[in-house]
Amino acid sequence: MMQRRYRSILDLKIKESAKALAISDSELACKLTAMGVLPGTMVELVRHSPFGSAYYVKVDGIRFALRAEEAASILLEV
Amino acid sequence: MSEKPVKPLKIALIGNPNSGKSTVFNQLTGLRQKTGNFPGVTVDLKEGNIRLSNGEEAVIIDFPGTYSVYPTSSDEKLVAAVLANPADAFFPDVIVYVADVTNLEKHLLLLTQLLDLGMPVILALNMSDTADTMGIKVNVSKISDEFDVPVVLVSGRTGSNINKLTAEIEKLLKNPVTWKKRPIYRLNETEKQVAETVCLNLDVDNNYRALQLAHHHKWLPFLKDNERAVLATIVQTKDFQLLRSQVDETLDRYDRFTPIVQDTIQKPPLFPNTPTDRIDAILTNKWLGPIIFFAVMMLLFQAIFDWSEYPMTWIEDLFSGLNDVILTTFPTNWFTELLTDGVLAGLAGIMVFVPQIAILFLLVTILEEVGYMARVVFMFDKFMRRFGMNGRSVVALIGGSACAVPAIMSSRTIGNWKERLITILVTPFISCSARIPVYLVLIGLAVPKVKVFWFLSAQTLVFGAMYLLGVVAALASGWVMKRWFRKKETSFLAIELPVYRMPYWKNVWLTLWEKVSAFVLGAGKIILIVSIALWALSRFGPGTAIETARVEASIKADSLHLDSVHTKDYISQRELEASWAGQMGKFIEPAIRPLGYDWKIGIALLTSFAAREVFTGTLAVLYNMGSSESEINDRSDNAAKATLRDKLRREKFRDTGGPVYSLATALSLLVFYALAMQCMSTLAVVRRETGSWKWPTIQFFFMSGLAYLCAWVVYVLFS
Ligand SMILES: Nc1nc2c(ncn2[C@@H]2O[C@H](COP(=O)(O)OP(=O)(O)OP(=O)(O)O)[C@@H](O)[C@H]2O)c(=O)[nH]1
Repeated sequence: MMQRRYRSILDLKIKESAKALAISDSELACKLTAMGVLPGTMVELVRHSPFGSAYYVKVDGIRFALRAEEAASILLEV
Repeated sequence: MSEKPVKPLKIALIGNPNSGKSTVFNQLTGLRQKTGNFPGVTVDLKEGNIRLSNGEEAVIIDFPGTYSVYPTSSDEKLVAAVLANPADAFFPDVIVYVADVTNLEKHLLLLTQLLDLGMPVILALNMSDTADTMGIKVNVSKISDEFDVPVVLVSGRTGSNINKLTAEIEKLLKNPVTWKKRPIYRLNETEKQVAETVCLNLDVDNNYRALQLAHHHKWLPFLKDNERAVLATIVQTKDFQLLRSQVDETLDRYDRFTPIVQDTIQKPPLFPNTPTDRIDAILTNKWLGPIIFFAVMMLLFQAIFDWSEYPMTWIEDLFSGLNDVILTTFPTNWFTELLTDGVLAGLAGIMVFVPQIAILFLLVTILEEVGYMARVVFMFDKFMRRFGMNGRSVVALIGGSACAVPAIMSSRTIGNWKERLITILVTPFISCSARIPVYLVLIGLAVPKVKVFWFLSAQTLVFGAMYLLGVVAALASGWVMKRWFRKKETSFLAIELPVYRMPYWKNVWLTLWEKVSAFVLGAGKIILIVSIALWALSRFGPGTAIETARVEASIKADSLHLDSVHTKDYISQRELEASWAGQMGKFIEPAIRPLGYDWKIGIALLTSFAAREVFTGTLAVLYNMGSSESEINDRSDNAAKATLRDKLRREKFRDTGGPVYSLATALSLLVFYALAMQCMSTLAVVRRETGSWKWPTIQFFFMSGLAYLCAWVVYVLFS
């Protein structure tokens, strides 16, 4: 990894948003970019799921449910 | 290759999930649709017909929702595999690409991929009605120019411009055009080398399709072994990094079409707090969400029982009326018997389920249409993963309470093979509507009609417990299988949560119609065949066994001084014992005696293995044919009129003389029917979805073994 520090959705507070910079895992990147989660877009954490471990996020006005690993793979600007 | 048979023209509907593809499909085809089987293909896709202006018929195929030609679920794999193989039975002549115009910047990736594959495409910009209310302005002719494709702005809901779409389809079918602005994505150096080598070696004429073969060489089902080996070598020698190249290509495509979308579509700024946000604040709330979900499920099952009661009685009355008409108008012979005891009994057995199945499908379809199911997937993903499944499995399990067959097919959206397999294997544990009549008869027999609490009867409680048993069995088996199957593979949740919409009733009715008719025609066929076979097996016996039994029985009846009704009953009882069915029942009696069952239940069990709905029908047939000895000893005049339930209650074991339907036996039968795999249609679907007989065989023995064991434990505990 480079010197630069990243955050992920796991670090966001509810209603907080941040700009996505990249997706770290290439298999997940393939899936997420196809769905429209792209580097450069704003990602907002809306809420956590009832049993934990899933995240309700909004990307460019579109709503997604992501698992912890998926949410963690999206690198956000600090 | 010049003598090809004339094939119907094929039009494919392709688009992202929630783009409204199926709605457009319904607009184009109406009732002229079915879940079809193309010869030689192992998957079902919905297909419909349209008539072109020259009178020719064309087939429209509704493909599963797909984001990209780089698949992450078996649904998406299907689309990628068809597009990679021009020889595929589903390979379309024209594609209608459906995109949600209110989110066009996210809906064009797959379009640009289809264009690069050289497919003739029409872009249908759907949801024009919503675009209008949102104040979105679309420059249709500019989009058409930029991508060099015909574009039609349509609404699946209002039907606006659907005939324009049909006209464009015809135009494109008649004169395939050569496109100017292709390819949209320019391959990089490695990709170009890979594609060109593939073209040379495998006789492919499109570079992008050649690249697809390289990307998907590991799993594409139509590749021959030597082709697969060649592709693997090319990928290796060119050092082609598959995933890396897929991601780069995807991003590059977005870079190309995003400016076009910004140029051609004007959107008012987004509101931060839409109705969907406000609804989700409650429905997916950490605490309220699951509570509301369970309340919805309770209401669902309540509705099934409340609403189906009357139509079910009507159907039963209708069939018993028909039965009487046939008996009085036709002469008494074996053909009339075949009609009433075989065909009519079978038909009645199918039709009484229709109300319950219809109500359940209706409610589940509404939940799906509104957009609630995606939220359920979100809420229960973690929970289901403990049991080796995926949030998406909940949709299959809920569907399983109507019928396992469509439920198992809905598991195709699960990307991870292990999670999907577990979902397929455990879904039949969920009590489907075919078990309801079996439960009703047995519970009525075994459980007294007393109130436990002021509103709940003991019978209702046991009924609820049966459903719970199914859910527990499904989850527990999932938990075991999770440890048992070792295979590791990436698993995804990543799902889009669509905006909430009012249900569109045309969609709901068409889905309902499709599911119910699939049930009646699919499962119905088997039930009908079984009940006819059963009638034959119980009507005929080896050699002269039946005649001998009849003669002996009438002598015995004479010596007992029975009246005519009882003589007849006694004789038919003896005949049944002597028949093939009786022999079979007696043959397996030792195996099922530990569970508390006699040979007549044995026959019912055997026939139930084709379809469990047959159980009540079988018992009705058996007990009509043979009234029991205890009844004869009663000498009550009403005995002949006794209902099935009363007849069962009086049944005695031949050796011990104890009642056959004690509490213990009834409970053990209940448990057996809740857990055993007794549905040929389900096994057939599992075979199709898993690609071999291995899994249905395992499933059959696993479920039935578990059923035997649990039924035995219950019998021992209660007797
Ligand atoms: N307002 C509006 N809603 C539409 C239109 N077309 C479809 N919908 C709604 O959008 C939702 C999704 O539609 P479907 O036809 O099920 O979408 P699909 O693309 O087939 O979805 P998948 O089955 O997931 O591939 C449903 O609630 C439809 O009623 C339209 O033109 N206008």
